[in-house]
Amino acid sequence: MNVCPRCQAKLETPLACSACGALVAEATGAAQNPFALFGLELGFALDKQALRRRLLRFSRLMHPDFFATAGAEPLALAESASAALNAAHELLADDAARADWLVRELGGPDEKSERAMPQEFLMEVLDWNETLESARSAPAGSAERTAIRQLCAQLEERRRELFETIARELDPLPAIGSPKLALLRKQLNAARYLDKTIAEIGALRVSQTLSQ
Amino acid sequence: MAFIELTVLNNAARQTAIGIDLGTTNSLGAMWKDGRPIVLHPEGENGYVPSALHFTEDGRIIVGREARDRALIDPEHTLFSIKRFMGRGLKDVAGDAASVPCKIGESANGVIEFEMRGRKYTPQELSALILLKVHDMACRALGGQETINVVITVPAYFDDAQRQATRDAARLAGLEVLRIINEPTAASLAYGLDRKKQGTVAVFDLGGGTFDVSLLSIEDGVFRVLSTNGDTHLGGDDLDRVLVQAAMEDLARTISASTLRDGGFQQLLRLAAEKCKIELSSSPEAQMHVILPETGLHWRRRFTRDEFEVLAEPLIERTIDACRKALADAKLETSAIDEVVLVGGATRIPMVRRRVEAFFHRKPHTELNPDEVVALGAAVQAHVLTGGTRDILLMDVTPLSLGLETLGGAVAKIILRNSTIPCSATEGFTTYADHQTGIDFHVVQGERELARDCRTLGRFKLSGIPPMPAGMARIAVKFHIDANGMLTVSAKEESTGVSARIEVTPMNGLSDAEVEGMLKASYDNARADFDESRLANLKVEIGTMMRATERGLRDYRFALDKETVRDLEDSMKSVRGASEQVDVNALQKARDIFERATLPLAAVMMDSVAKKALTGKRLDEV
Repeated sequence: MNVCPRCQAKLETPLACSACGALVAEATGAAQNPFALFGLELGFALDKQALRRRLLRFSRLMHPDFFATAGAEPLALAESASAALNAAHELLADDAARADWLVRELGGPDEKSERAMPQEFLMEVLDWNETLESARSAPAGSAERTAIRQLCAQLEERRRELFETIARELDPLPAIGSPKLALLRKQLNAARYLDKTIAEIGALRVSQTLSQ
Repeated sequence: MAFIELTVLNNAARQTAIGIDLGTTNSLGAMWKDGRPIVLHPEGENGYVPSALHFTEDGRIIVGREARDRALIDPEHTLFSIKRFMGRGLKDVAGDAASVPCKIGESANGVIEFEMRGRKYTPQELSALILLKVHDMACRALGGQETINVVITVPAYFDDAQRQATRDAARLAGLEVLRIINEPTAASLAYGLDRKKQGTVAVFDLGGGTFDVSLLSIEDGVFRVLSTNGDTHLGGDDLDRVLVQAAMEDLARTISASTLRDGGFQQLLRLAAEKCKIELSSSPEAQMHVILPETGLHWRRRFTRDEFEVLAEPLIERTIDACRKALADAKLETSAIDEVVLVGGATRIPMVRRRVEAFFHRKPHTELNPDEVVALGAAVQAHVLTGGTRDILLMDVTPLSLGLETLGGAVAKIILRNSTIPCSATEGFTTYADHQTGIDFHVVQGERELARDCRTLGRFKLSGIPPMPAGMARIAVKFHIDANGMLTVSAKEESTGVSARIEVTPMNGLSDAEVEGMLKASYDNARADFDESRLANLKVEIGTMMRATERGLRDYRFALDKETVRDLEDSMKSVRGASEQVDVNALQKARDIFERATLPLAAVMMDSVAKKALTGKRLDEV
């Protein structure tokens, strides 16, 4: 890991020095790697509480609030450093986004070159879509509408299982270009479908509550 | 010991800043003093500046309490609730425009203009006058100590245009804005100081014109906003309006439709409704009176609290819907909320308290004055921003998603709502024609799928792209939302490193050139006002001198030589002519020449006075 250009202390994050408080201007290149910004090794397993504590601690070093009267240049640096830190936190705190980043980083296919879902999902997806479709057109309070509550719980359970599998596949990290990465991409496609559907059910339920 | 020295040094060099709550109904300043935030009020005043403006016949603008008082006598020339027009276009404010007593129009960029006494004013200019009044009040409270640094609060749900308008108002007032901060988060800072707790807090802020709910997690002095929701057009004003509506249905039987719709009469109704609403918070029934002396109208009606609650219910329900949405965005259930804080004058309404308590299953906090807590929080943030402490940190979010219009009118979201700020996103563009040097794009804010249903922040014109074959240019456009929640856009062609130029046409906002123009105009106006008062003073002075000279000439002509008399009479003639002058400098010159010509007369008169005094006559007999 790099050292602070001002005080030579070891840097916990390439964005700022926790020893002397200096903002590090050359950090922009490292902004591509969210793990590096948080001083973490690449890996899917992550202690979310520890991540949040780092976010708060690093924010105390680089948040623009502490540079409000420091002049235009340090303030601009604090703005961009904080934006990079916040973006990295958002990515790392989200299981799907973190796995997606790792698959790309290891040279795996992106969601455009590999659009399929794992085979075993396809039948289930057809079932789910059917339940959802009938709920969408059903009147409020009907049996179809209550069914989506169960569907939502089912999808969330399925999502939990899926991420357990993804976590196993990513630990240890596959080698660069490994054929495992194509399978992981398919699993992430399934996760995306689940998230989209869960969100849709959520919106449907909120609009139901609001219209009552 | 070195540590202590350093602290002393830092304190000596530290700037100060005032926190200002620029409210729909009242505005207020506060500052950090002796370890806590205090409301700034001069001796014997409470510091509240009613956000009201009165336009006098002789072209002056009165701001604050006096303006509000004059509204009862002269409602046609008094404006309230300017905040609801900030960063908005005419079509956004149709409901509010009805109770504005003057003509209201829109400039080419969609900035609202109020026409009062033959002059047009933007909401930015009028808010600047309110800010100046608060600033003046604050500086008097500080014993004349001047600081132009301010932190100004805005509703969390304010979009970019509304925030820009607020910042422009401060620029017009000559103030240095260290930060635009969200009202509910400011309130949480004021509350959070007393309770060094961890936990999740919901701030329910129902002000004069706007509603916000913010959910925050507080941990080790870091106040992190998890989600926010609200409505920038829902507040005490709207609750007044339900009473006005009820009154109008009643009044329609007794007075003509044209009187009823008259802007000044509407203003009177609104003031009466506001008074009635406030009374209903402490008593089960209240009267609403309207007196119109010129028509002999003397109308009164009794409202019970129950009646009011039936009328207000749909509005209160909207606030609860917003709470539901905020919880959904934060992925929290009501059971996860540890504390609920009430902010804003309208949270004094018993029904609001009841409804909030029932929804969150928590008794809400009301220990701090809901009218002061936002300004106090702004003072805490001002203290942080001027280097006063690193123990407190506020991490806020952007309330609305930011997107670009794509082909076909859909929106591609590039920054999602409730993202922690500062945040940025980079979007790649390319050219679709050979040697194309410019690209236009349309930036919108909002949650809807189609660009036309979202709010236009601006149309950006990217130019200066080096000529290349179609599709070769790689233009990275960076959208950055800063800690104020405001957008900046920059662009770069990546293969050549050429930074492209970006021009923005703001929607419902002032361009930099317009702000500069207004600053110059206000300087010119101040100059003109100054000249005018000097002119008036000069005329009075010349009048006095003329009368004295005429009397002197009558009594002492005999003692003067002919030449002196001729000089005097000439200069009197020329100064009489000059009195018609509007040029203050020319008049000053004529006055000075006149004064010199009167010197011999004055000497004779003095001489005579002295002689008479010597012969035993009293001075007043001269």
